[in-house]
Amino acid sequence: MLQGDHITVRYGRQAVVNDISFRLEEGQWLMLAGPNGAGKSTLIEAIAQGVPYEGTIRWQGEDLRVMKPNQLARRIGVLSQRNAVGYAYTVEEVVGLGRYAYSSGFLSGRRGEDRDHVEQALEMTGLTGLRRASMLTLSGGEMQRAFLAQVFAQDPQVLILDEPANHLDLNYQQQIFSLIRDWLKQPGRAVLSVVHDLSLARRYGTHALLLDRGQCVASGAIGDVMTPEHLNGVYGMDVAAWLRELLSQWE
Amino acid sequence: MSKKIVSLFLAALMLIGCLPALADEAITVTDMHGREITLTEPATRIVAMQPSDCEILCAIGCEDALVGIGQYCDYPASITSLPVVHSGAETNVEEILALQPQVVLMNDMTQSEEQVKQLEENGVKVVVSSATDIEGVYYAIRMIGALMDKSEEAESVVADMQDTFADIQSKVTDEGKTVYFEVSPLQYGLWTAGKGTFMDELATICGLKNAFDDVNGWAEVSEEQVIARDPDYIVTITMYFGEGPLPVDEILGREGWQDMKAVKNAQVFNASDSNALSRPGPRLKDAAVELYNFIYGAEEEVEPAA
Amino acid sequence: MNDTRSLRQERFAPVTYALLTAALLATMALCVCVGSVPISLSDTVTAVWRALWGLPIPQNIAKNIILNVRLPRVLCVALSGASLSLCGAAMQGLLRNPLADGSTIGVSSGAALGAVIAMAAGFTLPGSSYGGVMISAMAFAFGALVLILSLAYALDRSLATNSIILIGVIFTMFISSIISLVVTFASEHTRSLNFWTLGSFSGVNYHQVKLLALALVACGGVVLRYSRELNAFAVGEDNARHVGVNVKRVKLVTLITISVLIGVCVSISGTVSFVGLVMPHIARMLVGPNHRRLLPASMFAGAIFLLLADLTARTLFSPIELSIGVVTSLVGAVAFVIIFSRTRKAR
Repeated sequence: MLQGDHITVRYGRQAVVNDISFRLEEGQWLMLAGPNGAGKSTLIEAIAQGVPYEGTIRWQGEDLRVMKPNQLARRIGVLSQRNAVGYAYTVEEVVGLGRYAYSSGFLSGRRGEDRDHVEQALEMTGLTGLRRASMLTLSGGEMQRAFLAQVFAQDPQVLILDEPANHLDLNYQQQIFSLIRDWLKQPGRAVLSVVHDLSLARRYGTHALLLDRGQCVASGAIGDVMTPEHLNGVYGMDVAAWLRELLSQWE
Repeated sequence: MSKKIVSLFLAALMLIGCLPALADEAITVTDMHGREITLTEPATRIVAMQPSDCEILCAIGCEDALVGIGQYCDYPASITSLPVVHSGAETNVEEILALQPQVVLMNDMTQSEEQVKQLEENGVKVVVSSATDIEGVYYAIRMIGALMDKSEEAESVVADMQDTFADIQSKVTDEGKTVYFEVSPLQYGLWTAGKGTFMDELATICGLKNAFDDVNGWAEVSEEQVIARDPDYIVTITMYFGEGPLPVDEILGREGWQDMKAVKNAQVFNASDSNALSRPGPRLKDAAVELYNFIYGAEEEVEPAA
Repeated sequence: MNDTRSLRQERFAPVTYALLTAALLATMALCVCVGSVPISLSDTVTAVWRALWGLPIPQNIAKNIILNVRLPRVLCVALSGASLSLCGAAMQGLLRNPLADGSTIGVSSGAALGAVIAMAAGFTLPGSSYGGVMISAMAFAFGALVLILSLAYALDRSLATNSIILIGVIFTMFISSIISLVVTFASEHTRSLNFWTLGSFSGVNYHQVKLLALALVACGGVVLRYSRELNAFAVGEDNARHVGVNVKRVKLVTLITISVLIGVCVSISGTVSFVGLVMPHIARMLVGPNHRRLLPASMFAGAIFLLLADLTARTLFSPIELSIGVVTSLVGAVAFVIIFSRTRKAR
């Protein structure tokens, strides 16, 4: 579905993302992993056409660069990491913006459908009761869910999520990840996400791309990439031992 | 020895003889700020910062004593070749000192005390000239005449003005007609000259009532007030720069003004020289004559008294 | 079925529009009836009524003052107020900065500089002597906007912080000194410095009413069509891009439109500050941040506010006129402080 070839993003002289290629097929959940500064968020920004990049990113063979913004938005939904709202919009208004790509031009007038998508998204994220609340009064987790609802309302074929569990309580973390996995079960869908928590990544991902300082360390099926050798090299520590130690406290 | 005594004696005599002579020639005037200024002899090098003082100096025949003029001084044309100094808020003491004047004539509003002090410390007498009415203009003319030892000439300039005004006043009858002075045209916001301006005084001399004598000084007034007050005469001092309609035609063609008395009767007049109407100088009499001729027509034309 | 109706409720109900229009008309009527010259209500109504239907109007002072002085002025003021407030609301949404406005970002002073230069240089268009001034004002307004935004982007990409306002204020001071320089050297060709810095509606005519109406209809149409896009920008520029807004085009078109509208306003009435800053704030407090409601509400609020400000300017010290900027700044600055402290407390 989505294919990136030789993507390089430079800030000044420095290549933050250096010659990265990936493929995302139907039904896959591709995890971008790696320590801080590996270039994960920048790669996501490049796919979302938010930063200039070298190389090509194609959607079913079509170059994303020549796609109109609303065409792109109908195919790819992006949840970025920093989302702050300056004005007192209601949750419903922000979620409703997810339908923007369908309302412009000749596709406008499908109000009933728009409404259903918004309702569904609010329900999925447990925000139905907060629909009239001002975004300024929400907690960090509620805000994150509101933007997630926006992406769901957008009804894309590929979800691109930068830290979707950010600010979320443990119960919502689990709910959201199960939600996304259920969403993925429908045909013609795929997910690409940055997840810091390696356990979560391992649990939900089907494939992974391990980055370190802009370079690709490993890519492929999740089990082949998230191996102790790869992770220990990238993080400079015994990752598995540390995670095991954390868990042992509960036994 | 005796020769020495004689010469000493003679020198002493000369000194004694000279002293009263010096005292005689010393000039003391009170300037328009109320300060006393004493000159040991009539000034021969003067810098005049204001256009009106230049005009007064030239009118009493002292053009030669002018060594520098303020930046807005432009009359008579012959003085414009003189060195120009900045005036008002941009007054530059060094510029003035470089011209080595004995006296500087300036307005008291615009210069700082420090600047006046600086000038006086460098031996330049600062004389304030700040007439706000016609009596004040007479005072300024006499004061400058005294400074230059030209009191006679000054008196005749004053008398000339007084005669002209008296002549006009004797011919006019107060019919209670009103005049509206337009200082800036409609598109820039209507500014008029109210009470305490020379235009207001000239209107009175010509037997007219200023339509805006309830306003002090120059002020922006509302257009509907002008229409409602419906003056008999309109005098504009707008200068014409060769673009668009003439100022008089522009006023005659204004929307909503067509039913005003002055517009219907075409009693709208563009003063030929706005400076004559607003500068506290001898040319106020020319402005009065021009205004009189406009109002009462050419058949009763008065000539300037001299 | 409250929740299913909610999306449709983004727009004002016709009743709300009717109420807002009634409030505006009432204010306009008040401003036509009250002035520095007292004219009886019946004369006023007769003159306006007969003029509306093209009937012959009795030749009297009421006709001249009401139809030729007060009415065009009231119309100009209402249109300018609506335009400036609309521009302010659009900018505050587009830049996601509640302090943005033509006067704080420096667009108005840019427009004033353009107008002053065109006047001083005698730059005219064939057929319309004032067209050159307007075009120049628009071009300079847009130039100022681009310059300030690129400067602000270089300093801080989010634009949401106050650095852009700081740059705007400094830029305005810089431009004001250039304007006063041009006015000093070409005083016989341009309007007074007072006009450019404080604004005035004295002496406006129906020609200018038509120009303003045309500009507001054209530019207002563009901005109102972008209501949803402005909502997306107000939530965040990145978010706008993610939901499919053509960020570059919307931004460019909106900025050009704002420049054109502000250019027309400034060349007719000088810089009238605070309208575009304060009125959208008040509108937002009343109807919320959604631009579908905020933009129309801002236009009505701006028109009503400026009408009352102009009424004060021309009647308070009658027969002397105040510059309208004196009134708007006085009221606006106080209102701004109150709003600012309230929103701070609310958080």
